[in-house]
Amino acid sequence: MKRRDVLAAGLGAVALTAPAVRSSRAQTKTLTIGGSVPLTGAAAETGLNVNNGYITAATYINDVLGGVEIAGDKYKIQLKLFDDASDPARATTLIQRQLDEGTDFFLGSFGSNIVLPTVAITERAKKPMVQTGGGSDAIFTRGFKYSFGMFPRATRQFAAASALFKTLNPGPSTYSVVYNNDAFSKTAAEGVRQSCDAAGFKRLDSFELPAKVTDVSSVLASVRANMPDMLLCVVHDQDSLLIARQMVATNTNVKLLYQGLGPQLASYREALGKYSESILCSTYWDEGVPYKDKFFGDAKKFTEYYRSKFTRPIAYHVAGAAACIETYVMAMQAAKSLKPDAVRDALAAADFETFYARIKFTPDGDGDPLTLGGMIGQVQKGKLETVFPEAAKTAPPVYPAQTWDKKA
Amino acid sequence: MKLNQTQVFLLVAAAVVVLAAGPLFLPPFYVRVGQLMLYSAGLGLAWAILGGFAGYTSFGHAAFIGVGAFTAGLVEAKLSSLPTVLLLPVGLLAGAACCAILAALIAYPILRLRGTFFAIAMLGVSHVCAEVTNNVDFFQGSMGLNFPPIAPPSMDPANFFYEIYLVAALFILLVSWQIRRSRFGAGLLSIREDEDTARMLGVPTERYKRLAFVVSAVLTGVTGVIYAHSLGYITTDSVYRDDTNLSLIVYSLLGGMGTLFGPVIGAFLLVFITQVILGRLLDFHLFATGLLLVILVLSAPGGIAGLLKRKRAAP
Amino acid sequence: MNLIAQTLADGLVLGGIYALAAVGFSLIFGVLHVINLSHGILVLMGAYLALIFSEALHIDPLLCIPPVMAVLFCVGYAYQRFLIQHAVDRASVNSMLLTFGVALMLQNAMIWVFSPDMKSITPSYAFTSLKLGPVNLDAVRLSALAASLILLSCLAALLRFSPLGRVIRATAQQTMAARLCGVNVRHVYALTFAVSAAFAGAAGIVIGIILPFSPNDEGGWTLNAFVVVVLGGVGSPAGALIGGLLLGMVSTLTAQYVGPAFPNVTMFLLLVLLLLVRPNGLLGNAFAPSR
Repeated sequence: MKRRDVLAAGLGAVALTAPAVRSSRAQTKTLTIGGSVPLTGAAAETGLNVNNGYITAATYINDVLGGVEIAGDKYKIQLKLFDDASDPARATTLIQRQLDEGTDFFLGSFGSNIVLPTVAITERAKKPMVQTGGGSDAIFTRGFKYSFGMFPRATRQFAAASALFKTLNPGPSTYSVVYNNDAFSKTAAEGVRQSCDAAGFKRLDSFELPAKVTDVSSVLASVRANMPDMLLCVVHDQDSLLIARQMVATNTNVKLLYQGLGPQLASYREALGKYSESILCSTYWDEGVPYKDKFFGDAKKFTEYYRSKFTRPIAYHVAGAAACIETYVMAMQAAKSLKPDAVRDALAAADFETFYARIKFTPDGDGDPLTLGGMIGQVQKGKLETVFPEAAKTAPPVYPAQTWDKKA
Repeated sequence: MKLNQTQVFLLVAAAVVVLAAGPLFLPPFYVRVGQLMLYSAGLGLAWAILGGFAGYTSFGHAAFIGVGAFTAGLVEAKLSSLPTVLLLPVGLLAGAACCAILAALIAYPILRLRGTFFAIAMLGVSHVCAEVTNNVDFFQGSMGLNFPPIAPPSMDPANFFYEIYLVAALFILLVSWQIRRSRFGAGLLSIREDEDTARMLGVPTERYKRLAFVVSAVLTGVTGVIYAHSLGYITTDSVYRDDTNLSLIVYSLLGGMGTLFGPVIGAFLLVFITQVILGRLLDFHLFATGLLLVILVLSAPGGIAGLLKRKRAAP
Repeated sequence: MNLIAQTLADGLVLGGIYALAAVGFSLIFGVLHVINLSHGILVLMGAYLALIFSEALHIDPLLCIPPVMAVLFCVGYAYQRFLIQHAVDRASVNSMLLTFGVALMLQNAMIWVFSPDMKSITPSYAFTSLKLGPVNLDAVRLSALAASLILLSCLAALLRFSPLGRVIRATAQQTMAARLCGVNVRHVYALTFAVSAAFAGAAGIVIGIILPFSPNDEGGWTLNAFVVVVLGGVGSPAGALIGGLLLGMVSTLTAQYVGPAFPNVTMFLLLVLLLLVRPNGLLGNAFAPSR
């Protein structure tokens, strides 16, 4: 431990003297951004996507753009991220270490139960955190001023879907909702209930699944006994696949199947094959969105750059994470400063266009439901098409879905 | 170098003073590590009263952490009109009472099991508590429970909780010490050595076991209440953790099973290694922790204390 | 009437699979008195290996069972002989910690190699179902059940009729006497572990075709094995089958009639209750007299 400190001090000394050794060129400074991501543990699958997004943006800015200009100086981005193992105790302790080391800006982890304790710490230290991983209402109702999230809060995330359902003709009239017994899924289900009831649909049943699901035959038996027009699932992606497979096997047919997390993943569509046709999901981005961006140009170029660096299939969390870094940079440029308070004010007033979406935050710090709210995707002929809203549509929605045996 | 009692006393007192002054000169990260160390030490000592002294290795003490934490949270939520300074004591009392009741209820049946069966049964209890908390809406385990901030406004909450943990760990150490030097403690040690013979010789094994179980549960619960307050927001997964269940055993194993200071040494060492040294490794730390456990079991099954004994014994 | 028949049928199918997933653990506990906390990770290894083999060789995943079992047999032998044996000589707690440490290491390794994403094995008949009277049965689950029952019978036959089985049973019942008769106990222990690991791997394949899996699932399968062993009895495939079926049916009945979120509560309550009433399980310990 001592040796490491000496080494760090030595490197620091060398780094300090290095610029003096160089000739008088415009100095490239470093912008350090800290944070944690779950690379192991329950949240690792999306954690890895978020991490890759952060790395993509930082590498692009450093290597391709040569840095960004903020208040007259050129800056390269240095990411200091660590693995919090999906454990809030580990995340909070190591965030504190970064605060001690003088990190001023933070990126968020994934999973509301990790984001909430960590943002409480950065809030107290008055350092901003921009995250694309925590949507639970609890994060945005504590009066935090330094916390900014890319997603609207969980109870508002269903607005796009219920708006879509209203446009369908002949419309569905009844629905049942399936959710996991955890903080995010439950609040998302609450959001489903609120928007659907407000839109005039009749709720038949509400099914609560345990956190780890191995069998949904009982739920599906109840669904068959009281058949809704729409089955809305706000469960984890592993459970979405399980539900879909068991629905096919037990011949449980609904006119509309919505699975919040699942169809966006290539592995899900591959596993279901032709049966994934017409399944709806929430998507916050895909490479076809028309937004323009002053760093990458547009979404297609971002995807190309990402694919040049990673073989892992792209997912919208990658884009959201990259957008966090872009948001920081644009806020700093707008504030013409690297002081946390000034940047914080610029973030609160943000109205930036990025390849991901138009970045705007509500006064509570969550994403503006209109610009950062989800789009609805539907699997059509094996591809994920965007069917809502009108502005981003790539294909018309298909309703009602064919029965499973017709899809084969 | 065998120390006599006064020397040990002075050493501990000196350590407490140094630790108490920690927040004054340590950077906040190390204060947080210190919090974790003292929290783990307290838990390890509480566990060791049953596991180290009596030899009943419980694989499910997280049950009491959770029961204590959630009881305190729910009670405090109902009594939110109380002045802040009373909230923690009320929570501690409520948590302690609930753990005592739970432990007393299950003590008789569960302590009839021995060895591995007892360990698995406690694991079962831990999971039952976790599942009930998660699935019955009244406990708010899945939505999460909020804890009001109780630190005095003039003090950094990290420092405040550090001192509270220190007091708690010290208290548990004193209880543990008192037990060890009493007739009760001697009885527990005899149970660990050979329960049936002890019973034949007239040691009231059933009563002693149950008492140790309840005391261990209450002390664990109390520490859990403090932990919940320091996090500020807990869900089922924050407190009913299987890795905590396992860590409690590892602390004693590392420091010396059945010794007084063993759990403290084990806790300090393990927290230091996993938080400070392995904290810098991005996605390697699970592997490193596992490797550490494997090496520990293969090379030092008696823990640090065992190694020291071996060194002393070898001429 | 239909609903209860369906629920019981679903429970039976699930139970058979749980039984196979636990039998390896049960054997090790009965013969070596070791609690193998890396059981879940061995199950997952089977699943991942099946994924690789079935995609590379384009064969049905159930046909991958022999090669996967062979691989895990060797792995299990080495694991026991060179690692666990050293820890087992001390207290039983040590074997728990050692196997837990290995599980952590292997879990991290799996995340590096396979990524933490969920994976699934989709056999060609994944979406068909069969109707038997009033009951609808998923073809994949049915074939998984069939595979489980066949494998469990093979294990039972191995233990009862083969020379290896006799030696294992002898060593489990009277270790000292076996030694005196010239049995190389360490070798037998390692062989037992190897057999257990092989069956854990086979279970992984069966699980992999019905459920999506990821490295994080390993704890759940170890826990599942605990419960099945406690319910049904230690050391015998029959015990594992009884325990598994009981668990499966309790799960589906609770899910249907109490609520889908409650099977786990009932599972652990059963565990605790049965430990208090009959710690050696319904069929008792296959190798030792139950008190």
